[in-house]
Amino acid sequence: MSSAETEPPPEPPSASARRWSSRFIAAFVFLQFLIPLTYLTRDDAADERFTWRHFASPAARSCETSASLERLDGQREPIPLQRLIHQDWVDYVAQGRRAVVDAFMQWECESEDVLEVEVTNRCDDDGGTHEYTLRCGSARAHESSRTALR
Amino acid sequence: MKPWERYWFGDVALARPYLVLRFVLVVLAFDTWLNMMPEGVKYGVGAFNVAHFAWLDGFVPSAGFYLGVLAFTGVLALSQALYRPHRIAIILIAAGYTLGWACSLLDSVPHHYLLSLYLLCFVFFPMLSARSAFSRFAQAPRGTVPAYVLFCVTTAVVYFYVAAWSAADGQPYWLPMICSVGYLIASMQDRAELRALRWLTPILVAAPIAYHVRAAERGELLLYMTGIAIIAFAPAQWIHIFGRTLTRPARSLIEEHDGDGIDERASQVFYLSLVGLAVAPMVSGFVDLPGVKTGCMLTAFAMLFVMGRQLYFTPRWRPVWRVASLFGGCLALWITVTTSHARFDFYREGALDADRRGDHDTAIVYRQKAERYAP
Repeated sequence: MSSAETEPPPEPPSASARRWSSRFIAAFVFLQFLIPLTYLTRDDAADERFTWRHFASPAARSCETSASLERLDGQREPIPLQRLIHQDWVDYVAQGRRAVVDAFMQWECESEDVLEVEVTNRCDDDGGTHEYTLRCGSARAHESSRTALR
Repeated sequence: MKPWERYWFGDVALARPYLVLRFVLVVLAFDTWLNMMPEGVKYGVGAFNVAHFAWLDGFVPSAGFYLGVLAFTGVLALSQALYRPHRIAIILIAAGYTLGWACSLLDSVPHHYLLSLYLLCFVFFPMLSARSAFSRFAQAPRGTVPAYVLFCVTTAVVYFYVAAWSAADGQPYWLPMICSVGYLIASMQDRAELRALRWLTPILVAAPIAYHVRAAERGELLLYMTGIAIIAFAPAQWIHIFGRTLTRPARSLIEEHDGDGIDERASQVFYLSLVGLAVAPMVSGFVDLPGVKTGCMLTAFAMLFVMGRQLYFTPRWRPVWRVASLFGGCLALWITVTTSHARFDFYREGALDADRRGDHDTAIVYRQKAERYAP
């Protein structure tokens, strides 16, 4: 029966195809070695993406977050984070993921009459408090940390 | 050949790339529907989003977009696993899957990135038929498949870094290091003359299985890595026998005879395929999740694109089998979603989140649906 017959295996690549494949393979493998090393240059130690520090998602820190903004007239208002964005984003902000903290503060700055946005995270594990302040118009939030006295 | 070329272009048992491609595509399909779709309700809330890459930051994906991409990816992946994969379809699956996780940090599961790397390797796999991978003879067919070796090396690099970071943190690192070395050895086992290597490799499969079982990871990661390890480490003869048994129905039913040529069936097959392409996505209408219908329709368009000229100019049964595989994918999506907790979890999480944000109207809509689909 013809359906049980063997088809020939794929043709071995020509010398030129092998050369091009070799270049692609070398670049692909080199990138795979290089990308995880970028972790060493990252500002945000919590950002472990593409590094293979963990095969599965690492356990997240337990932190509480609060945010406030200052209007142009000097009035300070709390930001109800949980009512604005999904809880997962709130958790990211609480854990101090810089990309999310920065994006959230820039997002708040897009509202009218906002002069400054502040986010404060209190974490249980190291007892530390991390404060982020963004003056609207600036590119990046200023971070300050305090370790609680034990 | 230089040693570099001997390593990458040496022979491997064709059963390995054949099985690993299909295994990953099948698990990926069910993974997207069962594990990723229920998470889709988080997308677009408050129009806030941060993407994995800065160039995607301006785009805020909605729940409908995310679920549509997942439905498209899953259905196309399963249909390609069911019938002879096509390179264009694999490119679309890789692109869809990568877009799915890359568009938001809400999906930061590390192995989703690994799967994108695997899918990129698959793009360069030979699109083997069951007949070319499994002969009727006892001897397992072999061939040059550098992309499969790259697939093994990719896995080895991942385990290497897991071991290296563990060592840097003062944690035990020997098990992931054995996994890394094991994959490098496994990639050479089909052409190694050294008998000891052929004896050693199947034993090394214990390392990745033990590592993932010990780490008590998410179920789907354990399934992916165990299945891949078994296919990569098992002796060629075992894999050949397993694959031959598995594909016997496909080889005797689906594969067309060599004598088939252009004949009067051409127009019948053409219209039958077109009707099938139009009807298959309609199954998704019963899924009742945002974006899924659009995702399945796009899969039908992708299938039309994949078949291209084949649809009319190949009077063989190949277009019909392709459409049948699309039907299989859409039906599997419908059955999976309706018989699992996926849909209930989606609406329940949506109701809880809407309540938390004080959006009671949305919460009521989601809660009604959650009650309707409660297990």
